[in-house]
Amino acid sequence: MRPTDITDPEYFHKVVDCQYACPAHTPVPEYIRLIAAERYTEAYMVNWESNVFPGVLGRTCDRPCEPACRRGRVDEEPVAICRLKRVAADNKGDISDWLPEIPLIKNGKKIALIGGGPASLTVARDLAPLGYEIHLYDEQIAGGGMMRSQIPSFRLPESVLNEEVNYILDMGIHTHFKTYVSSLREVLNQGYDAVFVGTGAPKGRDLNIPGREEGKANIHIGIEWLASVAFEHTNKIGKNVIVLGGGNTAMDCCRTSRRLGGDHVKVVVRSPFSEMKASPWEKEDAQHEDIPILDNHVPKEFVVENGRLVGMRFEKVKAVYDEKGKRSLVPTGEPLVYIEADDVLIAIGQENTFPWIERDLGLQFDNWNMPVVSKKTFQSTLDQVFFGGDAAFGPENVITAVAHGHHAAVSIDLFCQGKDVQVRPSPLTNLVSQKMGIHEWIYDSEVVNDDRYKVPHAEKQKTLRDRKVEVELGFDKGLGFKEAQRCLNCDAQTVFYTNRCIECDACVDICPTSCITFTTNGEEDDLRTRLNAPAHNLSQDLYVSDVLPATQRVMVKDEDVCLHCGLCAERCPTAAWDMQKFLYSTSKASNVCGVLQL
Amino acid sequence: MRLMLPQRHRLSRCCGLNLLNLNLLNRLNFNFSTHHHMTYVKPSFRHPELPKNDLGFTKKDYEGAISTLCGGCGHDSISGAITQACFEMAIAPHRLAKLSGIGCSSKTPTYFLGNSHGFNSVHGRMPSVATGANLANRDLIYLGVSGDGDTASIGMGQFVHAVRRNLNVVYIVMNNGCYGLTKGQDSATADVGSVSKNGINSFNAIDLPALALELGATFVARSFSGDRTQLIPLIKAAVSHHGFALIDVISPCVTFNNNTGSTKSYDYVREHITTADVVDYVPPGEEITMEYAEGSSAELTLHDGSMLQLHKLAPNWDPRDKLAAMQRIYLSRVKQEILTGLLYIDPDTQDLHDILNTVDKPLNELREEDLCPGSGALEEINQSLR
Amino acid sequence: MIDLDLGMNEHLSPPLKWDDNRKYDPGKVYDAEDLENMAQFGRYLDSDGDGITYRTIPGTHPTKGSFFTRGTSRDEYARYTEDGAVYVRNMNRLLKKWDTAKEIIPQPELYQDGNQHKEGIIFFGTTTYSALEALDLLKEEGIEMDAMRLLSFPFSKKVEDFVNGHERIYVIEQNRDAQMRSLLINELEVDPKKMIRILNFDGMPITAAYISEQIKEKMVVDKVE
Repeated sequence: MRPTDITDPEYFHKVVDCQYACPAHTPVPEYIRLIAAERYTEAYMVNWESNVFPGVLGRTCDRPCEPACRRGRVDEEPVAICRLKRVAADNKGDISDWLPEIPLIKNGKKIALIGGGPASLTVARDLAPLGYEIHLYDEQIAGGGMMRSQIPSFRLPESVLNEEVNYILDMGIHTHFKTYVSSLREVLNQGYDAVFVGTGAPKGRDLNIPGREEGKANIHIGIEWLASVAFEHTNKIGKNVIVLGGGNTAMDCCRTSRRLGGDHVKVVVRSPFSEMKASPWEKEDAQHEDIPILDNHVPKEFVVENGRLVGMRFEKVKAVYDEKGKRSLVPTGEPLVYIEADDVLIAIGQENTFPWIERDLGLQFDNWNMPVVSKKTFQSTLDQVFFGGDAAFGPENVITAVAHGHHAAVSIDLFCQGKDVQVRPSPLTNLVSQKMGIHEWIYDSEVVNDDRYKVPHAEKQKTLRDRKVEVELGFDKGLGFKEAQRCLNCDAQTVFYTNRCIECDACVDICPTSCITFTTNGEEDDLRTRLNAPAHNLSQDLYVSDVLPATQRVMVKDEDVCLHCGLCAERCPTAAWDMQKFLYSTSKASNVCGVLQL
Repeated sequence: MRLMLPQRHRLSRCCGLNLLNLNLLNRLNFNFSTHHHMTYVKPSFRHPELPKNDLGFTKKDYEGAISTLCGGCGHDSISGAITQACFEMAIAPHRLAKLSGIGCSSKTPTYFLGNSHGFNSVHGRMPSVATGANLANRDLIYLGVSGDGDTASIGMGQFVHAVRRNLNVVYIVMNNGCYGLTKGQDSATADVGSVSKNGINSFNAIDLPALALELGATFVARSFSGDRTQLIPLIKAAVSHHGFALIDVISPCVTFNNNTGSTKSYDYVREHITTADVVDYVPPGEEITMEYAEGSSAELTLHDGSMLQLHKLAPNWDPRDKLAAMQRIYLSRVKQEILTGLLYIDPDTQDLHDILNTVDKPLNELREEDLCPGSGALEEINQSLR
Repeated sequence: MIDLDLGMNEHLSPPLKWDDNRKYDPGKVYDAEDLENMAQFGRYLDSDGDGITYRTIPGTHPTKGSFFTRGTSRDEYARYTEDGAVYVRNMNRLLKKWDTAKEIIPQPELYQDGNQHKEGIIFFGTTTYSALEALDLLKEEGIEMDAMRLLSFPFSKKVEDFVNGHERIYVIEQNRDAQMRSLLINELEVDPKKMIRILNFDGMPITAAYISEQIKEKMVVDKVE
C-alpha cells in the first residue's frame, strides 16, 4: 500500500466516526470534552456553529453519529452523543457575546427563503452575518417548519424551539409569516438575487382502501393532525385509536393520541417489528406508554357503520426474503383481524409537492416530479434558485436539512459574488499536538469502563396528562460528566513519524486493542490478513507508514478499534507517535462564531 | 509541536468578528486542560475479534499489569514475546510459575502472565527459589527471568549451580549490558570497549551462553528483543525442553545504553546480528509443514512430543554438537558478530528430578500416609543403632 | 555450648520418639474446592480476624489462587500498589498476626507453682542446665528464687506475668550486650533497673558456679547501695 497521506484532511476526518457520520459534521469529541470541563456555553457554541439547533437536536436528532460511534465497536453501547448535546444546551450561559454581529450596512444583495424550517433558517444564519438582506416566507404563524408542526411538545418544548429559531430571526431577518407562497414566478419577479426553497415534504401519504371516503371524518393524515395539535386546532381524539405506520411520525402520533384522550392506542405496521423505520428509542418510549405495536398487519379496509368509523380490518402477513435479501410480505392465510377504532391516524410516509412552482420557468423537474438539484451545490437548473432540506431530495431529517442549508448558503454567497459555485472552499482543519509532558496529554486519555447512562424520564402519570410536559428530563451535570467521560476522543489522532521510529515494538506491546503491526508491505487485501488482530471492518482505513530503513518493514495501524488512549505515544521512547487533536470544520458561508479557531 | 495542514480557508469577509475571535481563541486555548495525568492503567477493552487458543483463552488472559519500565525498553518486547508464546502454546496460566530476582528485568513478571503464580525473590537468588519450587512440584512450568546483573554478577554463584544441576526451568536473561535500575553502570556482560553513558567499559564480558555450555547446559540460545519472530519459537522450544534452558536475549536499554558506541543498542545489534539457525516450533500432535532443501534442516523431537525444525544451518552442522557450538560462539565473537538462534540442544537429558530419582508425583502432593511410617518404624531405626 | 564443643564431640540424646496421634499440619491452605466456592482469593486478606492469611499451593485452581509474592508494596490480593493506606492496612494486619502468634507459639517453662519469691531468673537455650544447677547451688546457701525458661519470641502473657510478678530478675545470657534483656525491657515495657544482666561471653560454655557467683555478687552490690 502507498503510505497514508495524513495531510489530506479527509483521512483523519474519517477516523472521527461520529463527526464523519453527522451530515453537518459536528465536531462531537470537541464539544463532549467541553461538557466534561463544565464549559457548557462553549460546548453549545461548537454545536451551534455546525448544527444550528443544539437544543432541538439534543432532544430529537435521528443521531446518525451514534451507530457510527467507535465505542459501539468495543463496548456494548455507543456514547449518548445526542443527549450530551442537550446537556450543553440545558446548562449554557448567556450566549449573546458569542453570536456574530450583523452588519448595519448591508451588502446590497437580497435573498428570499421559501419555507421557515431548519434548512431555510440555516441559510439565514450563515448569510445574515455577511450583510445579506434576507426575507423568509412561511405559511405558519412562526418559524421552525416541521420542528414546530410535527415534533410534539412532550419531546421538544416550544420554549427551546423558540429560543433557537429566534437566535436567527433576531439577526435582522425579514419574516413574512402566515404567507403562503403560491407562485415562484411572483417571487422571482420581486428582484431577489437568489431564492432558496426549503418547503420540506409537506404532504402526508394517504391510504386508499375501502371505507376511506365513508370514514373520512375520523381518518386523519398523521402530519396534518400533528400540526393541528401543535397549533391548537385539535385537542382531543377518540378512546380507541389506530395509528398506521412504523416510522417516527407514527410514534409521535400514537404518543400524542395517548395525551388527548386515546386510552387504547395501537400502532399497526406492515413490516416486522425489527424492520420498522422508527428509531429504537422512540419505539421503546411508545411501548413504555402502554402502546402495543402490532407488526406484520397489512391494512385492508376501514369499517364504517351507520356512517361512522368503527374499526379496521387487517391481513396478517409474514416477511419472506429471496436470495438477494429482498423482502416480500406474504399473507399467512389466517382470517382478517378486526381492530376497533374511533379514530385512525395515517402515518405511512411523506411526499414532496411543488404546486406553486410553475413548470415554464426553466426549472427542470425529473420523472418523479422532483426538481433537478445538484447534490454538491444545491443549485437548481434555474441558476438563482437553490433547494435544501426535504424539498431537495425527499424526506430526511433535521440534521440533514441543516447540512443542506450550509452547502446552499455557500453556493448562494458564491453565486451572489459572481463566483463559480462549483469551486467550493476547503474545510477548516487543524492538527495540534496534545503533549504536555513525557507522559501527559492535554486530553483525558483514560478509557473508562462505564456502561451508557440512561436519561431519566418524568413520571408517566404526569406526562400523559399534559402533552406539553417533556418526557425526558435530560442528564444532569453529574450524569453528563460521566457519560462524557465515555467518549474515546477519536479526534486525538495517532500521528506516526517514520523517521523517528527505532522499531522497539513498545507501541505494539502496549496497544490494548492490537491495532499496530510492523510488517513487510503488501496490497491492502493481503496486509489485512497479516495484522496482529483481525482487520475485517473494511469501512475503516489502514494507516500505513513509509518504509522503515532498519528492517524494510512498514508500520500498519488499523484505525477500526483504536481507543485513542495514547498509550502508544506514551510508551514510545522517541516520540515517533504523537497524539494530535484534529479539528475539522466544514466550509460555511460565514465563520459565524469562531468557536473552533485554535 | 504544531502541525498545520496546508489547506486553511477562511472567507475574507468575516463580518468584523476578529475581536470576538481573539477572545474565543484565548478562552479555548486552555481547552480541557483541567484533568491530566500519567496513564498507569491500560484500558480493559480489547479487540472484539481476538483469536482464542485451545483453552478458549485470548491473549488478554496472558497479559499482566501495565509496564512501568522506560518506554521502548527491550524488556517489554520480551514480555510481549512471552505473552504471545504462552498464549499460542495454550499453557494453562495457573500451571506456570514465573520467578525473578532484582533489577529492571526482574520487574517484568508483573507485566506478563497476570494469572500465573509469581515470585519476586532476592537479588541473584531466583535460581534457588526456582530449585525449591521445582523440587516441590515437578509438574509446573517454571519461567525464570533474570538480568545481566542478577545473573552474571550477584547471582553468578546461584546461576552456575542451576545450570550444572540441569534444573528444569526456562531461564531468560534480559541482557542490556548495564544496570538500568541504578543509573546504567556497566554490567558484567558489557563488551570490552563498549561505550555507555558512563564511559568506556574496560573489562571483559561474561558470555553467558558460552559459560552455560561449559557448565553442561542442555539448551542454549541467544536472541534479540527486537526480533520476536525468532524469540517466540525459541521460548516455546525452551518451555518444551526437559532441563535447563537458557535464552540470553540482547535487550537494549533505551535510557542508558542505546547510544552510539554501545554494542547493545538497537542499531548496533541490528547491524551485527547473525542467525545460526531459524527454529520452527511444531506443537505435539501437529505435522511439520515447512519444507527445506535437503541437508539444510534438522528435526528434533523434544521431551513433550513437540518437534523443532531447524534450518539455515551451516552444512553438516549438528545442533547437538557441543564442540561445534562452542566454536561458532568463539568465531562470531572474533568477527564481532552477535550470533543468535538455538546454539545447542541436547533433547534427551536427565533433569534434577531424574538425577535425584524422585517419585513421579509432585512432592507437595505427598500426604502423611505417603511420608510418615509411624512410631514402629522409628523404633526399628532406634533399635538398629543400638 | 560453643561451636567447637558442638562440632567436635559426640553427645548422646535420649531415643527419638514419634507420637502416632500427631498429624501433619500445613497451616491455613485453601484447596481447589475452597477456591471454587469463593468470589476472590486474597493472599493477604485477613478473612477470619487473626491476622494470619490463607495461602494456596501453586497450580491448585485454574482461575483462582494464583498470586505474586513480592515485597510489601501490594494489596490484600497481592496486586502491586503504592497506595499508602493499603500499606498501613497491611502493616497493621502483620501486627495482629504478631499478637496472635504470642499465644500459639511454645510457652515458657516455669519451675514453680505461681510466683513464690521476690526474685526470679530467666534463661534460655543451652544455658538451661547450668542455670538449673546454679539454682540448686544458691538454694544450698539459702538463697531461693523463681525461674523461667524462655522458649519463644514474641513474649506471651505468661512471660509478662512472670516479669511483672518479681521485684528483681536476673537475665542469664551468653552475649556481650544482654540482647534478651533488651527484648524483655522493650517488649514488656518494664523498668530496666530491675532487670539484672548475668552475662558470659568469653568463648567457653557458661557454668552453674559462674551463674551463682554472679547472682550473689549483684545481690551484694545492690544491698550496699
